Formats: sequence, structure tokens, C-alpha cells
Amino acid sequence: MRLLGRLTIMVLRAVGAVALVCARTALALRHVSGRELARALTLFGYRSLPLTLGAATMIGATVVLQAGVYATRFGLRLFTGWAAGYALIWEFGPLLLGLIMAARIGARNAAELSLLSVNGQLEGLRGISLDPFRLLVAPRVVAAFLSVGALAAVTFLVAILWEAVAAFFTLHLPLRVFFTSFPDMLRWTDLVGGLTKTIIFGGAIAVISTAVGLRTRGGAQGVGRAAAEAVVACCATIFALDLLLTPLLSRWLS
Amino acid sequence: MNVSLDEVSVVHGAVRALDGVSLQLPLGTQLLVWGAAGGGKTTLLKVIAGLVTPSSGQSRWDGREVATFTRGERRAEQAHLGMIFQSDALFDSRTVLDNVTFPLVRRGVGEREARERALATLERVGLSHAVDKTPETLSGGMRKRVGVARAIVAGPDVLLADDPFAGLDPVTERAVGDLLLEVSRGRTLVIAVPEPPRTLALPRQLELDRGRFAQP
Amino acid sequence: MIALVGAQSRLFGRAVLGAREPRLGRAFLSQVASLGGATVPLVTFGMAFFGMVMTTIAWAQARKYTGSLAVVGPAYFELILREFAPLLTALLAASRQAAFVSAELGSMAVNEQLEAMELSAADPVTELVTPRLFASIAVMPLLTIIGAVAASLSAMLTVTFFFHEDGLSFVSPQYVTFGDLACAFTKALAAGAYVPIAAALRGLRARGGAGAVGDAVTVGVVEACMGCLVLDFLIAVFFHSVGA
Repeated sequence: MRLLGRLTIMVLRAVGAVALVCARTALALRHVSGRELARALTLFGYRSLPLTLGAATMIGATVVLQAGVYATRFGLRLFTGWAAGYALIWEFGPLLLGLIMAARIGARNAAELSLLSVNGQLEGLRGISLDPFRLLVAPRVVAAFLSVGALAAVTFLVAILWEAVAAFFTLHLPLRVFFTSFPDMLRWTDLVGGLTKTIIFGGAIAVISTAVGLRTRGGAQGVGRAAAEAVVACCATIFALDLLLTPLLSRWLS
Repeated sequence: MNVSLDEVSVVHGAVRALDGVSLQLPLGTQLLVWGAAGGGKTTLLKVIAGLVTPSSGQSRWDGREVATFTRGERRAEQAHLGMIFQSDALFDSRTVLDNVTFPLVRRGVGEREARERALATLERVGLSHAVDKTPETLSGGMRKRVGVARAIVAGPDVLLADDPFAGLDPVTERAVGDLLLEVSRGRTLVIAVPEPPRTLALPRQLELDRGRFAQP
Repeated sequence: MIALVGAQSRLFGRAVLGAREPRLGRAFLSQVASLGGATVPLVTFGMAFFGMVMTTIAWAQARKYTGSLAVVGPAYFELILREFAPLLTALLAASRQAAFVSAELGSMAVNEQLEAMELSAADPVTELVTPRLFASIAVMPLLTIIGAVAASLSAMLTVTFFFHEDGLSFVSPQYVTFGDLACAFTKALAAGAYVPIAAALRGLRARGGAGAVGDAVTVGVVEACMGCLVLDFLIAVFFHSVGA
């Protein structure tokens, strides 16, 4: 019973912290400084590009390797393109990209913000009546949203290309055949669903890691702990959101 | 153990922390090194302790160049050196007693003997009442004294103290200073501080400025 | 890239040699608890959710093409065992374990505790990396089993209660071969060995202040996750090419 109570309080506090970050970011949205936004976009978006491309390559190749096994087993070799594309856009792409971005953006964001709050710089900003949310937090949240969306599009594209290449080498499936199964069976709504999922993951990562980062106290250990907590919280949230979004989106879009 | 540095330079990236420093430390030397932050004091102590390898020049322990030791040999020789770190560097997850027994146990001293020697050392630095506490619960002066106890428990010939008075009030500062002098009697003691303290007089004083000893 | 892999292999070698030190038993056990025990909730929770999502997708595909979940179910079950359980468990565990290992070692490094260890005649690699390495190798296969069980159970329950079909037919092992299990086990072992090494390397190298610890965590987690993806792919290719 006590455990349940503690758990409830913990969840309520987390929800409260996240809601606070959301609300204050929304309020500060009109005053976001262009320079900070550009900096955050470079940091989260551009600098994550190599990692995303690497991950997309691995994801694409692995999906085909697996899909190929089933395609041959059920005699559906010609549908490999569709099966791989569908799995990638709906599930594999968003989930894996979300997890990797949680590690990349979530940890980075939490570490930076906790560093500022550990060093007393946030207090300092308030001291000269500057709103740290307007200056530091809002640009990060916005940038994380935009970056993850853009990176998701790139990932899908690159991963599908690599899927085609992998299918060519492992299943000896001509590239043309791989792609002809696409327009017949994949609709643009599938793409919208996958992208929406990923962008929502991106937003969750931004808000949660910000909430964790701002709460930190206590030196080098505190910063490390904040980064670690942010990664765990982001990963757990992504899985939970995945469950909620998959049926919701597939119903709306079909 | 006699320590000597010969034209030692240490380069971290673009920063030259030490720039051609030579120094003789025969057993029994009492030396105070002072200088502004970023002057290379910490690096100097770490070179003496064999924790930092010089980019050029040689550091020698009893005439043998430290860079030629294997990892195991170097660790064995480091038994003759004790260092009090700027950030105390206490092991947070262990109690005060475990912090002090650790160097003995890792040198193959039996549990019981290590415990007795650690308790004796802790008594000597005036911490018999705090043996079971964890480092986070201690005050700055107490943490410093745990650091001293851990550095001297194995009976080193050379005691190195990196800014041991940082953040201490004048009374505690004097107590720690006296403690350092007392435990290092007849051995080598090197203390690095930002500016020479009024209360602590060591026979040799050197100013380290931007990686070089200032000419007196 | 090559320098990184080289540094990781050297650290791995030193950590393995460190196992000769006899006094590490207790440290090993406490790492099993903190790397393994504390990761169980995350893995269980994540994989259970994932099981539900997988069945939802399988259900959508089944309605579209085969008409019955019982046809695609076993294929999905094999997929969970061979691919998703090892990969997603490894990624989940990697993000948590790598973050904790690099944060802990990184803050020890910037507080000069590693140097204090050297002067106490202890090798920081033996002292800190060895117990984490062996604990992680021991724990990752168990976590993978827990993840697979959680995903299968939740898949079974979802099929039974939401889609009102026979949940047991979904988890039928008719396609599962020894090769699948060997593949999954190899992946878990490889991830278990890689994650603590990647994270520890970044932690040990941290120099400076709190910012350096933050950087160590960020880079450590990313490298651990990326390494898991690469290893997963390489092992999948290997098993595919030997036809298992």
C-alpha cells in the first residue's frame, strides 16, 4: 500500500514537471531567440545526422534480412518490399530512431541543462530577470521536435534504400521488383503515421529530458545521474507512447 | 625514495602545463610550491607521483626513469608515494575506514592488520569517532584529514599535498598544516598552494608560474 | 573509428586479464544487482508494450492477407525470439547501463578518484571495469529471456482478450529452431560484453568538470547503442550465411 502511494506521488510529480515544462515552453514560444534555436538545431539535428545515417543503414539491412526469411518461407518473395517497408515505416523506424534519439538528444539535453543548473547559471539568469525558459528551454524543445521530424524522414528514405540493396544481395531480388510492390500496397497514410509517431517521440524526448535536467542538484555526480535518468525515462515513455499511438493512428488513417 | 625531474614538459592539447621543469627531491626535502591557478602545480605533483607521463624530459625515482617501468612495477614503486588530492578524491561508496584500509589491502596486507593500522592512522589524524561514516556526511576539514590518513597509511617516503587548505577556515588550516608537518617528519613533503600561507614555513619555497619556476 | 575500436579492444583485454584479481567477488555481485536487477523493470515494461504492438500489427496484416492470426502468429513469435527480444532488450539495457556506468566512472575520473586508486596500488580497470564487464555478460542473456517472456506473454494476452482469438496459437513454437535460440543467445552475449566497455571507456577518459561527465554519458550511451545495432547486424548476417 505504501509502495503504491509512493509510486502514485512519483508519477504525479513527474507528470507535473512535464506539464510545467510544456506550459512554460508554449508561453515562451513567441519569444524564442533565433540564434539559440539555430544553435540547438545544429546540435540536435545536424550533428545527429551521421549517427542517424549509420542507424538507418543497420536497421534497413536487418529488417530485410529478417523479412526475407519469412518472405521465402511463405512464398511471398515479391512482397518483400512491401513487408519490409511497412515494418520499417510503422514500427522499426520510429521505435529504433526514438530509442537512439533518446540516447543522443535526451542525454545531451539533460546533461547540458543540469550543468547549467548545477553551476547556478539558471539562478543567475533569473537574478537579472531573464526567463531561462524563453532563453534556453523553449529553443531546445522546438529544435528537438523539428530535428527528430527531419531525421525521421531521412532515416526512412535511407533505410528503404538500404533495404533494397540488401534484398538485392541476399534474396537476389531486382531493385525494380522491390520498389514496384511499394505503390500498390503502401499508401501515403502509412508514411504520415510513421512520421507522426516519430515526431511525437521527439517531442516527448525534448520535454522529459528538459524536466529531468532542470531538477538536478549536486556536482559531477548529479549531472551524470540526470543524463542517465533522462535516457531511462525517455526510453520507457517511447515504448508506452508506441503502444498508444499505433492503434490510434492506424484507425484514424485507414 | 629520491625523486628527480629533468627538463620535464607536459603538453595537454594546446596547453603547456609544465615547460622544462627541473627539480631535485632527495629524501627529507620539505618543499612548498606556490603559484596562481593554472600554473601547473597539480601537474607537477602528478608527474612526481607517476600519474602523468611527461611529454618530454625525464622523471626519475631513485635514479631510474619512471617511463621505463612496466605498469606493475610502477604500481609497486608508488607504494613509496602518498598524495592528498585537491578534490579529496575519497571513494564515495566506501566508509572512512574502508577508504583508509583500501591501499593496504590492495598491497596484500591481511584484513586484520590492515584494519588495525588504518584505525591507528585515523586516530593520529583525529578521526577515531568517524570511522563508520561515509565521506559525503563529513565536513571539509574532516574529508581532508581522511585524505591525509589514506595517503600516509602505507608509510610513504614522499608525501604530496595538492592545495590541502582549499576551503578551510584558518583554524582548520593550521591544524591540517601541523598534521602534514608532523606525519612527514624525516620524509619528503611537497605542498602546492595558490599563495604562501602565513602560518606554514617550509625550508624551500618555489613559485611556479605558467609551467616554469620563477627565478628568485 | 578504428582508433575507437582499438581502444575498446585494449580496454576489453585489460578488463578480462583483471579477472585474475581474487577480491572482486563482492563487487561483481553488487554490479549484477545494479546493472541487472535495476534494469529488469525497464526491460519487462518495454518488452511487454512491444509485444502488444507486435500483435496489433500482426492482426492488421492477418486481416488483410491471410484472414487468420494463427497463420502469421508463429512467424511473429519466431521473429520476437530471434530478433526483437535480443535487439530491443540490448538497446533498452544499453541505454540504462551505459548511462549509469559512464556517469559513475566519469564522475570518479573528474574527482581524481581513479588516480587515488592508482596510488593505492589498485588498477582502476581491474577494480571498476572488470566486475561491470562480467556482471553485464552474465546478466544480458537473462534480461533477454525476461524480455522475450514479457513480450510473448503480453502478446498472448492481447490476442486472447482484445482480438478474441486463441492466444496459445500465437506463441506456437512450430518455426522456432535451435539456430534461432543460438542466434539470440550470441547477440545477448555480444551486447553484454560490448555495452560496459563502450561506456567505461568514455567514463574513464572524462577530464575536467561536470560538463565532461555529461559529455561522457552522452557519447557513451550513443556508442553503446550503435554498437549493439552493428553487432546485431553482424551476428544476423553470420547466422544467415551459415543457414541457421
